[in-house]
Amino acid sequence: MSQSAPSLVSARPAVACRGITKRFPGVLANDEVDFEAVEGEVHALLGENGAGKSTLSNILTGLYRADEGELEIHGRPVAFHAPRDALDVGICMVHQHFRLVEPFTVAENVILGDHRDVGRSFRIDSRAIERRVTELGQRYGLAIDSRARIWQLSVGEQQRVEILKALFREARILILDEPTAVLTPQEATELFVTLRAMAAEGRTVIFISHKLHEVMAVADRVTVLRRGRSIGTLSVSETSSQALAALMVGRELEGSSAPKPHKLGDVVLSVEGLWAEGDRGAPAVKDVSLAVHAGEIVGIAGVAGNGQRELAETITGMRRATEGVVRVDGVVLRNGDPRSAIHARVAHIPEDRLSTAVASSLSIASNVVLKSYRDADHSWGPILRLRAIGQRARRLIEQFDVHTPGPQVPARQLSGGNLQKVVIGREFMGMPRVLIAAAPTRGLDVGAIESVQMYLRDAADMNVGVLLISEDLDEVLTLADRIVVLYEGRIAGEVDAAQATVEEIGLLMAGGQAS
Amino acid sequence: MRLRIERRLNQPGWLAVAVPLGSVAFAFFAIAVVLLATGHNPAHTFAKLVRSAFFDSGALSATLVSATPLAFTGLAAAAAFRMNLFNIGGEGQLYFGVAGAVAIALVLGKGAPTAVAIAAMCVAGAVAGAAWAAIPGVLRAFAKTNEIITSLMLNYVAALVLNYLIFDSHSYWRDTTSPSAAVFPQGQAIPDTAMWPFATIGGIAGGIALPLGIGIAVLVATALWGLYKHTRFGFELQVIADSPRAARYAGMRTRRKILAVMCLSGAIAGLGGAAQVGNFDHLLDPRSLQQQLFGYSGIVVAALARYNPFAVVVIAFLLGGLKNAGFALQGADFPSGLVGVMQGIFLFSVLGGEILNRYRITLSRAGQGTHVEPAG
Amino acid sequence: MNNSIAVVVFASAVAYGTPLLYAALGELLAERSGVLNLGVEGMMLVGAAMGFWAVQRIGGPSGVVLPLAVGVAALAGAAVALIHAFLVITLRASQIVSGLALTIFAGAAGLSSYLGNDLQLADVPASHSFHPVNLFGLGDLPVVGPIVFGQTWLVYTSWLCVVAVALYLSRTRTGLNVRAVGESPQTADAMGIDVVGYRYVHTLVGGAFAGVGGACFSLAITPQWTNDLTGGAGWIAIALVIFAFWRPDLCLVGAYFFGAFQALPFQLQARGILTQIPPEVFSALPYVMTVVVLVLVSSGIAKRRLGAPGALGLPYVREER
Repeated sequence: MSQSAPSLVSARPAVACRGITKRFPGVLANDEVDFEAVEGEVHALLGENGAGKSTLSNILTGLYRADEGELEIHGRPVAFHAPRDALDVGICMVHQHFRLVEPFTVAENVILGDHRDVGRSFRIDSRAIERRVTELGQRYGLAIDSRARIWQLSVGEQQRVEILKALFREARILILDEPTAVLTPQEATELFVTLRAMAAEGRTVIFISHKLHEVMAVADRVTVLRRGRSIGTLSVSETSSQALAALMVGRELEGSSAPKPHKLGDVVLSVEGLWAEGDRGAPAVKDVSLAVHAGEIVGIAGVAGNGQRELAETITGMRRATEGVVRVDGVVLRNGDPRSAIHARVAHIPEDRLSTAVASSLSIASNVVLKSYRDADHSWGPILRLRAIGQRARRLIEQFDVHTPGPQVPARQLSGGNLQKVVIGREFMGMPRVLIAAAPTRGLDVGAIESVQMYLRDAADMNVGVLLISEDLDEVLTLADRIVVLYEGRIAGEVDAAQATVEEIGLLMAGGQAS
Repeated sequence: MRLRIERRLNQPGWLAVAVPLGSVAFAFFAIAVVLLATGHNPAHTFAKLVRSAFFDSGALSATLVSATPLAFTGLAAAAAFRMNLFNIGGEGQLYFGVAGAVAIALVLGKGAPTAVAIAAMCVAGAVAGAAWAAIPGVLRAFAKTNEIITSLMLNYVAALVLNYLIFDSHSYWRDTTSPSAAVFPQGQAIPDTAMWPFATIGGIAGGIALPLGIGIAVLVATALWGLYKHTRFGFELQVIADSPRAARYAGMRTRRKILAVMCLSGAIAGLGGAAQVGNFDHLLDPRSLQQQLFGYSGIVVAALARYNPFAVVVIAFLLGGLKNAGFALQGADFPSGLVGVMQGIFLFSVLGGEILNRYRITLSRAGQGTHVEPAG
Repeated sequence: MNNSIAVVVFASAVAYGTPLLYAALGELLAERSGVLNLGVEGMMLVGAAMGFWAVQRIGGPSGVVLPLAVGVAALAGAAVALIHAFLVITLRASQIVSGLALTIFAGAAGLSSYLGNDLQLADVPASHSFHPVNLFGLGDLPVVGPIVFGQTWLVYTSWLCVVAVALYLSRTRTGLNVRAVGESPQTADAMGIDVVGYRYVHTLVGGAFAGVGGACFSLAITPQWTNDLTGGAGWIAIALVIFAFWRPDLCLVGAYFFGAFQALPFQLQARGILTQIPPEVFSALPYVMTVVVLVLVSSGIAKRRLGAPGALGLPYVREER
């Protein structure tokens, strides 16, 4: 890739940030960040979750205002008061959560807020607009039906609409926030081709990621952020993944410890011919059968949106199965009844921490007994035993090393890592037989990730059958004994974690057949 | 300089006192401006207002009359709103409570002892209110229909039902015998034995007549507080209100709880109807009920009390005082509409002041970057 | 033939439906931008009072006074709506509670009643009022004459407003922006659309429409000032917006449909037909039908295609995490 990079020394700077500082209540999100990107380059912003990448990009797009610091675009100092100001100087952003109006057509979304092209006129000529959008898509190889409504599109297609929006506005600077999280490795490669093409036209592409191999694959230069500070800018051709990783984390990474061989017990969880519908009513889980033994970690890999969330929800009863059964220790769970799964001691770490795993404005104590408030330990008939509940919460805080002033603090005030400890602690205290862990380390910092992974291993050592659902392939490879790959709701294949390669799994994730 | 609005992570204790006080102070200031603009002396009016609400002879008793129904509808709204169930139907549920209570009182007739009649009226009022609230409740729980609009629409249907009972039919509720009823249709009065008592407390300004209804309202407030704070049911409601997904995750039966809360809310409003008819009206009077807007005012009372049951009773008392003072002040130089305006300003101020509880607003210097407008 | 009950009912359905139509169009604009305003009744009453005040105080020929009075009513409605806008958009108060507070503030026991008293509007005949106009001389045509061509200018103008609002929302850039603001303010904001500005403008315009709706009563239907003369029309207008799936063209149909239910009992009574059906049944139908429609559109797919704007009732806060 680096041979296609323009001569960066002579290139004109497109974006220059100096000493950008942004505070949120209780958080210093950006701490005197310096950052510069030139015309015609793909510039990666690399950093862990919470390193301040999103905050910086939101400042660049006028969504947030920096508390301190200077911003220059194409050599001119600017002060953005609103997103419109950033759009006016040619900055567009593709957010992680797409900014699309679901009931609108593709064409309507593309021209929304535009005021220099066909959107300029007061009257909207939908035919002409649709034609323009279709042409534009064809020119950049982003084929899409401009009359389709957003909610009818796949996630990958929706991302193309976002990029079309930027192209339509003739954006000089395009910022993409973790764009590959929703793509297969193959789709990601296609995206990279588009991004390189855009850079070749003299645009500046700012690519936000925490994945090293992507940065190495697509970027010319990379700026590393750590804990809100800019650590340095390097040319990709002159650095290595290892060096970047060290910069990103702030220390050398230890090689992942090889998982201890587990002693497998009996089958604790068996899923037989499971079908379930997604939120839009289309089948999302298709004929999935799998078994997890006591003491085993089975990894479920796949690109986001291929039925992983629905599978976890169906097993735990949060979603009704349209067909098939789930057995725990040989006993069939009641379909669509989370209580049945709880009684069968199925622990569940849901991927959506703040709105599913906890009731976030309730106290830690309330969340500790979220599933066990009905037990005799915690209630006396219909009356709650508040003192016993408080004691239980204090015990969990101590055992799982949760950093908090006390059990009455609202859960949302905890950091992601501490919150996840509360969730894991609660699930472990229920003496589970089966643990369904969905994206258990998403959004956590390195220290928290390590302890969460340790807890998962401990669970397996304690003879719990663990089903680990994660989009992070490295995590699945490190932890799991067996890996099952989901593609479009079906099991695309199963591999032994010890022998599998990333390429092999990547192919399965894209719907190909294992060799 | 620029304004920054940030969400507060935690609310310091002093805010809970300072914000309402500040809002009320602002309201008095704004009302003073309005009074000045309309040619009234604010100091004089305020003094008269406070006197006729709380200190004149018989004022406290009259204030309690106005406050009792507001306490019930306020509690009804608080019970539901706390759970993010926006039951706007307190109005109609109260109407049904009135109809239910009157019906049972008429059925029991003079024969029943007062205690029995009161108990029966409470049950009938609560059941009728709960039944009417069950319609939006079922629709919300099982068809996911937005309860705001359905409960609102049903208020008008309930009003029309009452109109029908009194004006367009020879129903059980209508007085068909007395001479005055022949001129203008009116409801049949409940027997004396079914009228609710007042407890008289001597002392200030010749004694206060404390209606039984306000006592029941305080009991209901206490029960609600205990329910939310100390029971499994209350715990489940808190979780469902905060995050329905978390509730489902924890194996709670969300739909049943939604229906239960709507019915509970309706029952409290219906109980308010029973109290209104038992303590004060003594007959089914659709016109008067529809003019009072007890249900809607109750929602505002609940909002001002931030859905705390005890605060609801206090706010209902204060608003009742304002309403009662309005009747007292009413006259040529103080038109009735001005009371509504003053109430409105009061409500707007407290409502607007809420933002200070949830957000921190600071003035800060803008970034040091040179202020050059972006190139177009 | 033009005196047959069907024609008379349809003609008065149009007359009674017109205030509903104006108010509903206004509420529709506010809701399409994401702001639910339950204070329609209050805004209508203040509009009715101020409109009536204007015809009494402004001198000149009817052709000048009446449009001015309608303008005054619109301004009055917008002024009341401004309170709601400030509370819910800037101060992020609950839209439901604020709307109800607005009803109490401006309604039959509040500002409108005060204005009626203070400006001495009650018990005086209107100096000017809207009369039916025989449009193009076609008012004597059978059936369509009285229904379509024998109405007041307020009615004809309301038709123009329906067309204008419909075209505005579907065919103009600003209309597209409004819909985006109501569906997904995050997206609109990121695309440089001024969410706060759009919401303010449409809430105020909504109030103006409600004010004109109120003026329909005091300047055409009644035409005089009595306290609470709208008699719950504001609430029907809110129902109407839902009934019409947030579409202006269907608002027109729904308004006349609901108007017919208001007109029908009088006509039946006057002619002594169907007296065994209580008039309340007809009056209740708009509310009941709205509930039924709401239930029907609550199912998943219908909700997406016909349902309420995605962000209706939700405050938009940009700098939050």
